[in-house]
Amino acid sequence: MSEFKNIYDAHLALKNKKISAKELCVEHIKVAKENKNNTFITLTEDFALEKAKKIDEKGINNHLDGIPFSLKDLFITKNIRTTAGSKMLYNYIPPYEGTTSDNLQDAGAVLIGKVGCDEFGMGSSNENTPFGPVNLPINNDYLPGGSSGASAVSVLEGSSLFSMGTDTGGSVRLPANFCGLVGYKPTYGRVSRYGQIAYASSLDQASPFAKTPLDIAMIMDSITKNDEKDSTQAPIGAMNSASKILNNTDKDLKMTIGIDRSMIEGCREDVRDSLNQSIKELEKKGVKFKDISLPHLKYSVAVYYVIATSEASSNLARFDGVHFGYSSKNGKDLEDSYALSRSIGFHEEVKRRVLLGTFCLSSGYSDEYYSHACKVRKLIYDDFQKAFKECDYVYSPVCATTAFRKDEILTPLQMYMNDLYTIPVNLAGLPSMAIPYGKSSLNSLPTGFQLIGNSFKDEELILDGHKVFEVLK
Amino acid sequence: MSNKYETVIGIEIHAQLNTKTKAWCNCELKINGFENHYVCEVCSAQPGTLPVVNKQAVEYALMLGLATDCNINKTSFYDRKNYFYPDLPKGYQITQFHTPICKDGSLDLIDENGVTKKIRIERIQLEEDTGKSTHYNDYSLVNLNRAGTPLVEIVTMPDFKTAKEVTNFLKKIQSILVYLDVSKGNLQDGNMRCDVNLSLMPKGSNTFGTRTEVKNLNSFRSVERAIAHEQSRQAQLLDKGEEVLQQTLLFDVDTGATRVLRTKSDADDYRYIPEPDLLALSVTEENIRKLKDNLPELPTDKVNRFVKDFKIPKYDAEVICSEKKLANYFEEACSLHSGNAYKKISNWVMVELLKLVNEAKADVETIKLTPKHLVELVELIESGKISGKIAKEIFVEVYDTGNYPSAIVKEKGLEQNSDSSEIEEIVKEIIKAHPKEVEELKSGRDRVMGFFVGQVMKKTQGKANPKITSDLVTKLLDL
Repeated sequence: MSEFKNIYDAHLALKNKKISAKELCVEHIKVAKENKNNTFITLTEDFALEKAKKIDEKGINNHLDGIPFSLKDLFITKNIRTTAGSKMLYNYIPPYEGTTSDNLQDAGAVLIGKVGCDEFGMGSSNENTPFGPVNLPINNDYLPGGSSGASAVSVLEGSSLFSMGTDTGGSVRLPANFCGLVGYKPTYGRVSRYGQIAYASSLDQASPFAKTPLDIAMIMDSITKNDEKDSTQAPIGAMNSASKILNNTDKDLKMTIGIDRSMIEGCREDVRDSLNQSIKELEKKGVKFKDISLPHLKYSVAVYYVIATSEASSNLARFDGVHFGYSSKNGKDLEDSYALSRSIGFHEEVKRRVLLGTFCLSSGYSDEYYSHACKVRKLIYDDFQKAFKECDYVYSPVCATTAFRKDEILTPLQMYMNDLYTIPVNLAGLPSMAIPYGKSSLNSLPTGFQLIGNSFKDEELILDGHKVFEVLK
Repeated sequence: MSNKYETVIGIEIHAQLNTKTKAWCNCELKINGFENHYVCEVCSAQPGTLPVVNKQAVEYALMLGLATDCNINKTSFYDRKNYFYPDLPKGYQITQFHTPICKDGSLDLIDENGVTKKIRIERIQLEEDTGKSTHYNDYSLVNLNRAGTPLVEIVTMPDFKTAKEVTNFLKKIQSILVYLDVSKGNLQDGNMRCDVNLSLMPKGSNTFGTRTEVKNLNSFRSVERAIAHEQSRQAQLLDKGEEVLQQTLLFDVDTGATRVLRTKSDADDYRYIPEPDLLALSVTEENIRKLKDNLPELPTDKVNRFVKDFKIPKYDAEVICSEKKLANYFEEACSLHSGNAYKKISNWVMVELLKLVNEAKADVETIKLTPKHLVELVELIESGKISGKIAKEIFVEVYDTGNYPSAIVKEKGLEQNSDSSEIEEIVKEIIKAHPKEVEELKSGRDRVMGFFVGQVMKKTQGKANPKITSDLVTKLLDL
């Protein structure tokens, strides 16, 4: 494992020539190649070494110069296989470069490889993939959560200093929480989605994993440039949060955090204890907590599984064995070939969601399900807007439990309920930072909470998240 | 068709917009270019790609909306129409289902009797074309050059009663598209396609019958034939007391019959969903005002202007203005003409010129007989230098060679003979030779005058001035 705990440490060492980009790269590739946790789908060793060499020649300027990172395999990388964690795209080599990959490499970061995930981002355990589940490095009896589980693991195991995941219903915050990392889901529309294989377009957002909020700031500064290829990105320019954190001397926690205590009551006892402890400690440091009510959040899971699956059923249509993806040769006719290719190419969970979404949009049901869900989605957004009139942030659990045991068998519905606390944030398009805090008294696994900010208050949230993280350390 | 029934027709027109680039990407629009060459990651629907709205396509749709008296939706939305087909790479078509950019427009049709009928336009929506499939015996090929071509779909209300009205409307839309320069509007080339929805109801009834939809008609002739076929097919069914099924049909150009593509009971369910990758389309008053101010002259305005400025009949103006290039040709000729024989010019354009141009399927912009040639010809007649008969004869030569009429007349010595004494000698000869006709004419049969003039023409190879000739006949016979 690398001696560097985070991006900033490594950046200083690179800058002071205590280590070269190449050496740093080799260290991380070594961990990746040990492959203890089934993290990577595709390693890009030659590519990484080449890039590191270039960085060494050029010298260290940016925070991300020479920093090894990994990408969830939903991010398009030109000429590098991109599978979406699916048999469907087992051999897909994209002919173009995605914006996030481009931005990070442009900022000097060194891509070590593409890491696993639940197929097309659909899952909360990183098990729904033909590439096999990924281990939680700190206890191999457990799973890292999903769908961006392998991204979290690559940071935790030391094969990357940061990783990009995607968060559609909690797919970054949940694994971050299970792995004791910081996971940051930006405001919907803050980061370009161009070159990110779509699961649910109105919810998907590229989201980084790192060890600290300062690291998150450095990543966010690099991936928030305007991208005219994504019309849903707000054209408000790149963030400049890292230097603000580094130059800030004001450590005061002058913030009001809203909390709906019924959410904490719903958590398992060990998690509840840890959350209450964090609140107590923050109060001690001067944070004001205010009781709020978010009455419509209880419908979140239902709303999410209608909207996300509806969009997914349309987004995944192109994987039909004709244009893209696994193609069965045994079809009697076109229709049959579609059916066979998709039946074999997709894993169970994807099929379940595509079928559900197809049903939700079908004529006669669309109003009842899809349109109705959109209306409730607005109510959830309104709940938050009402709350933000009284507070700067909303405090929420990330998950009612800690990481799942490998032998724990959950029904799909039980699995879906694990996203109860993360989903509302996606539905309302808000930014949220999952911050690790403490350990479970039950199994010593990491616990934590999330701080939810208002739309496009990303910079504020990262700056304040940094302060909160530092006082709780 | 028995006349027990009244026909009710509504149509949908798809027109490709001639923007520089495709609807959602920067690919050049070259449908007939090298196969699959004008394709990028967006229009080939590579995973992870997103569409970006082509502003020019939006402007073109707005222009069409303004030209057809539509209300413009200040905010309109894109939707996805989901279905699987190999020439649809995304697995869905981006269209405007719930809230189109333009709605509630209309267009006036004027029939040959001058009667005006208003055809209501329900909506004009922006969407995209698919790729092109070509089917062979045991395989099919897909060309994506066309995929993502911006389209407008124009949907009318069921306001048509006859095929003639439908084709007149199509011609009118076609000419508007060309005048606005937003589409080539060519049915044969597939720039414009028409779907016909048709039903019958007993005369005097207010309740529409069950309709069928005939898809993708690509010529005026096909539209007429398909309508005729559906009218009689449905009438036969109704006469037998059978039911017309709500079906989507294809027209077979070879047999003139329709065949079933699908029946609505097992209709495709398109599972429309708002397009999450595109924002709502906002149009400001300012945008609309600017487009309105810069709207090119439309066919109707041009017709009115021609009637007013050139004093030609409205019917002439309608014919000439139905095609923008023809209208330009006529207008240029009029501007070159020093007199006021505009009606003569219009006659030559409508009859002789159109006949040759249509026969040769030629483009009036590039023919050898330019407006200048035509004006010279008309002026030669007006000044009495040549007869109309001679003019008609040399017209084809001018058309074929591009030689000037004056040069041809001079070269061949075709100038009209207006020398009274010379003609008088000939007239005397003719009178002498045809005593029977002389009696007839004297007894009041005016038609016989034509005979004498004709005989003189024959004698002079058409060069005798017909007016002088008939005057002489009158004088010599003392009529």
